[in-house]
Amino acid sequence: MCCRRYIFLLFILLSIIIVTVGCWDRQEMDTMSIVLGVGIDQGEEDPNQVMVTTQIVKPGNIKRPTSSGGGGQEEPYCNFTNTAGTVFEAIRGFTHVVDRKLYFPHSELLIIGQEAAESGINKYLDFFFRDPEPRLTTWVVVAKGKAGDVLKTKAELEQFPAQNITQLIEARAATSEVSTVILHDIMCRLMSKTTAPIATLLEVKEKGEEKIAELVGTAVFKRDKMVGTLDKIETRGLNWVLSEVGSGIIIVSCPICNDENDKVSLEIIKAEGKIVPELKEGILEITVKIKEEGNLGSQMCSQDLTEPSHWAALEKKKAQKIQQEVKAALKKAQNLNADVFGFGDKAHKKYPSLWPEWEAQWDEIFPQLKVNILVETKLQKPGMITKTASPEWAGTDDAT
Amino acid sequence: MLAKTVKRFLLGKLLKQKKSKNGQAKPSYEEAILTRNLKDNLAYFKNVLGHSSDFIVREFNFGVGGNYKAALIFLDDLVNKEIINESIIRPLMYELNVSSPKGLRGQKSLDFLLKRMVSVGEVTKTARIDNLLNGCLYGETIFLMDGFAEALVFDTKGWQHRKVEVSDTEVVVRGPREGFIEAITVNISLIRRKIRHPDLVIERMQIGEKTHTLVAIAYIKSIASPGLVEEVKNRLRRIKTDAIMESGYIEQFIEDAPYSLFPTINSSEKPDVVAIKMLEGRVAILVDGTPMVLTVPMLFIEGFQTAEDYYFRPYYACFIRLLRLISFLIALLAPAVYVALTTYHQELIPTPLLFTIASAREGTPFPVAIEILLLGLFFEIIREAGVRLPRVIGGAISIVGVLVIGEEAVSAGLIGAPVVIIIALTALATFVVTSFFDVILLSRILLIFAAAALGGFGIGALLLLILIHLVSLRSFGAPYFAPLAPLSLSGLKDSFVRFPLWAIWNRPDHIGHENPQRQRFGQMPRAPQK
Repeated sequence: MCCRRYIFLLFILLSIIIVTVGCWDRQEMDTMSIVLGVGIDQGEEDPNQVMVTTQIVKPGNIKRPTSSGGGGQEEPYCNFTNTAGTVFEAIRGFTHVVDRKLYFPHSELLIIGQEAAESGINKYLDFFFRDPEPRLTTWVVVAKGKAGDVLKTKAELEQFPAQNITQLIEARAATSEVSTVILHDIMCRLMSKTTAPIATLLEVKEKGEEKIAELVGTAVFKRDKMVGTLDKIETRGLNWVLSEVGSGIIIVSCPICNDENDKVSLEIIKAEGKIVPELKEGILEITVKIKEEGNLGSQMCSQDLTEPSHWAALEKKKAQKIQQEVKAALKKAQNLNADVFGFGDKAHKKYPSLWPEWEAQWDEIFPQLKVNILVETKLQKPGMITKTASPEWAGTDDAT
Repeated sequence: MLAKTVKRFLLGKLLKQKKSKNGQAKPSYEEAILTRNLKDNLAYFKNVLGHSSDFIVREFNFGVGGNYKAALIFLDDLVNKEIINESIIRPLMYELNVSSPKGLRGQKSLDFLLKRMVSVGEVTKTARIDNLLNGCLYGETIFLMDGFAEALVFDTKGWQHRKVEVSDTEVVVRGPREGFIEAITVNISLIRRKIRHPDLVIERMQIGEKTHTLVAIAYIKSIASPGLVEEVKNRLRRIKTDAIMESGYIEQFIEDAPYSLFPTINSSEKPDVVAIKMLEGRVAILVDGTPMVLTVPMLFIEGFQTAEDYYFRPYYACFIRLLRLISFLIALLAPAVYVALTTYHQELIPTPLLFTIASAREGTPFPVAIEILLLGLFFEIIREAGVRLPRVIGGAISIVGVLVIGEEAVSAGLIGAPVVIIIALTALATFVVTSFFDVILLSRILLIFAAAALGGFGIGALLLLILIHLVSLRSFGAPYFAPLAPLSLSGLKDSFVRFPLWAIWNRPDHIGHENPQRQRFGQMPRAPQK
């Protein structure tokens, strides 16, 4: 009798397996085409249509380290373009051109053409939010010009252009002059009524005969329509506030020589930004607190900067520089009336009862919003040497 | 239900056999005893054994004037003739005249011979013919004397056996090399030499209605639980079969879970392994004619333990234990996981690796699951061929294996290179956990099917079933999955890690509960105190 019980249990367990399985799909690797990147543009003839460009791996042409010689003739990828009424329709339409089903989970890049971005991105992105295959960690990039052209650029080091751009984005921490945004960020910002979505801005530049993709700053959206851009300095200003600065170089002039050409580069080691909404006499004010620590990276003049007074002067100059960057970003954002910093959401959290009133008028409040910027900087180490290599020579030079 | 029908089928066959056996008239030796007449006795033995050419009856007269008739019965090839000539016949025929002028009379004379004349170590006196036949077939010599209804049985065993050699199946780097051999007497002596304690009990019995195989159970009286010993004896007594050729026969007749993939009885070829298991409270079953000695109860964890773990220092021993666990998982899961990843969960593979796999997959004709199964089958064929072949040809097998599979199948595009790597890795890992070799092989195939049908869910479900099965198993009363389930903290000291020997002061739970402590607590070596 216990035998029957076991079989009953087995039956229950097996049926649980079969019933609770969500996406059940058996798919051999040679029946699918791995998508590396997707480009979205408006249709060439009808702007209401969508032109989707996909970059697909050609597994047979991937270079293998050991294979001798051959195989390197053709590119290991190919681009396909299809135009249709919606994104999903266009993607399904690829089956007329490509014999294998598109496979999105390994796509790390979503490029939106500038015209498409200006017309509103929500209608294009909905598919990527809704479908289970694309990842929410996909990088989102806005291209000046056509998104399809970006996928046709030449990758110098990587095998695939899409991978190349992904690597560029992932290397952002070295300068912090680029916004990096994944699909999930955009989704969150789109859901907020005040915070403006942003995306990495990319430009295709001609270098000789080849076309090279370069990251140039940030695309700023209002609701879901692109309204303007931030350049690299403004982007870092934005990143200071969002606490997104990893590393980077701040250039200040030497505090002793006071010569614009005697530049000192200061390396950012770590930085932290904090947004504090405050209510002063019934009016909302925002205080941005930035804490930064860094090292001396290089100097052009021969002064001994490690002397405490000079050291403090350097810190001060650095703080001023950071403040300038944040102010630039703030000015641009207020001009565009796009709350890229998320001040609105912070105010909402701190003053939930006052928020409904502010929310309705946020477009009037934000451009006039008073923002105090407090920067606290620290300079820690002078590097492997303290004085520069030839201080005596510099001293005599100074005496004359 | 399936198990039930199988059981009925097996039992039914046995019942039928029993019936037909009962119908036959078979000669019964159990009741017969000797008579006083030598001729009658000899006639009886000749009737039973006389058809064989190696059956020898040596009749002779001795005593003063040669007036005592006697006979020796033995099987030619099983006895040591030197003992018979020098220690039995010579003293009786030549020396009796001198030492005993009075002659032999009465019932005591056999005792007199036994005590004064014959210089053989082991002598017994019996009247039962079944005992005599048994002894004779085991290489003993029967001494019959006219006028006596009893016989003396001299231990004259002298057959050939292998020398004690280095064990082939359990090779060690550090530790004793010797392994058991086919002769049970030698094996018992090997155990006795490991454990020189009066509590070591060795009980013999004979199993096999035709083979009369000598089976010995060995245990330490003060450690092994009496219930366990009794259970082992009971199960052994229940075996009624023609032949016991190897300890595997015994294993299949007495194991707890005959339908399970997992073995519930451990076997070893090394005296030190068996000795330490007995010292933990287990019972060893030695079978004449095989070097493999069984120990019960067996725990799952024993598959990961080797004697060497205890001889090395604990850090390395821990590493080896963990390595074995990892190898076990690789051997069990690698092909199934590969199938699941490449056919269901491509999103889980890191992108660069996916490209590599995809480029290797390109143009191969079979689905991944078929590829893995085919290549696995191919490997098993090569392995099996290599095991059975004479050593001289063995090299050719590896050439075929390496060239045909490793090179040509890949370069011809029949099979993707990653599959070859997976199968090779799996094969290597399988040999790390040798005791579960068969379990791993079979469950691996099942897991590949599960992965091909349901992907990761299939693997998870099957693993869960296996785990449920494992924790429900018992071996001679001990929970099979101990010390993990039921959890025993002190048992974990000797599981996937091994603590220093001075820190494992308890014997495994559920086994040696008669006497749970193996050593004094707190024997960590430390600097001498002033």
